[in-house]
Amino acid sequence: MSRQDHIREFAAAALAEGRVDYFIGWTTGFNSSEVIPAFVKDPAEVDRLLWNPLCHHNLVTFLKRNMPDPPDAKIGVCVKGCDSRTLVALLQEELVDKSRLYVVGVPCDGIVDRRRLEKEFSDEMVDIAFPEKGKVVVTTRSGVQREFDQQAVLLDVCTRCRYPNPVYADDTAGPAVPEPGREETEPDWGDLADYEALSDDEKQALLEKVYSTCVRCFACINVCPVCVCWDRCVNRSRQPELVSQKVEPKSNLLFQMVHMFHVAGRCPSCGACDRACPVEIPLYLLHRKMNKELYDMFGFEPGTKLGEKPVFQVFDLADRFGD
Amino acid sequence: MADVVNNEASAGKDRPVKIIGIVCNWCSYAGADTAGVGRYKQPANVRLIRVPCTGRIDPLFALKAFEKGADGVLISGCHPGDCHYSEGNYYARRKFELAERMIHHLGIPKERFKWTWVSASEGQRWQQVVTEFVAAVEKLGPREGRAL
Repeated sequence: MSRQDHIREFAAAALAEGRVDYFIGWTTGFNSSEVIPAFVKDPAEVDRLLWNPLCHHNLVTFLKRNMPDPPDAKIGVCVKGCDSRTLVALLQEELVDKSRLYVVGVPCDGIVDRRRLEKEFSDEMVDIAFPEKGKVVVTTRSGVQREFDQQAVLLDVCTRCRYPNPVYADDTAGPAVPEPGREETEPDWGDLADYEALSDDEKQALLEKVYSTCVRCFACINVCPVCVCWDRCVNRSRQPELVSQKVEPKSNLLFQMVHMFHVAGRCPSCGACDRACPVEIPLYLLHRKMNKELYDMFGFEPGTKLGEKPVFQVFDLADRFGD
Repeated sequence: MADVVNNEASAGKDRPVKIIGIVCNWCSYAGADTAGVGRYKQPANVRLIRVPCTGRIDPLFALKAFEKGADGVLISGCHPGDCHYSEGNYYARRKFELAERMIHHLGIPKERFKWTWVSASEGQRWQQVVTEFVAAVEKLGPREGRAL
């Protein structure tokens, strides 16, 4: 039985037994090259649900404050490894109610970077198929067909993933995937190396260039599963004004730093913000760096242990920071 | 804060460096006062902002100061264990450590951001902290930030 069948089975059972009001999973978008979130209310409709390496959406976003409809809805949700870490991060701070959730964990072999595929073609993609494990076949509107190796077109965050299996789930869709030995190996921060090798002036020049394109559409913040202030967001506040309305690299970077500092200790680098950004700002430079430093300072990986408190909510007399 | 910084930010490369000091009411602000009462000579480049506790200081205050054109940011409060509110600075030091690393990550030299502890009685230490920090920032000169 494939993982997709497991998801459908779990969803159908939960809906039929009335354990959930609706079930959130993934389904096909306007064509089979794209996947979108799906909200299933009727057990007869579970065949819409889908699982393939295009299911990049972090569905935990739909559990945030003010998102469930009605507010006390019982919700079933599919989570991948990274999604489950964001869910655990929310549970650690009691920002979602565990008793209203039914979590289906989906062990994940890595998600395909659709944007990277898109850039391979001058034409629009109409179909992305996965005929066998590890193979990705893309068809464009003009009929061009090309095959890719899945490992070669994975998202950057997926190639460095340490938690491919959900860390928290009520039911798991299929067998676990092999995990890297977390005790023996350190996280791989190789994606930051190029940037960190730059001098201070070069960093500033690069950031100025990158952040001059930001349109402050709030996509990164809206899609972020652990960014929970909504309309109370200081980024939207004009009194007091922290981030000015000026459209310039400085304000745009400050805008992003607000996001980063506010999710510090909760953000497990699921990469949802990177994928949501319409102008492709490399936000991983900030949130991956933050996680690198948190790992260095506390040996802390956000959202991995349910009983743990996020590092900025607690303190330790034995901390050795400062002089 | 914004206006204070903006006035001179455009005054060219030879202007004196402008440093924003964010200090807690109970220790470092009083420490700076002690330094003043004791007539310890110190550079006049630091503008102090008084907050109730270092636990009140959001790392974003420092970033905002840099965005507005500050050449350096100095944060100071009670020594760990001496917090007026018992534990504010224990939380704060975790934040500051991350802030320091992230600020450097944005291409702002480490020398432009400093956080330390100065108690109310340590007027001399305040003088020393300010003098050393201002000297370090002056060595780099006024800042022309391109991104933050």
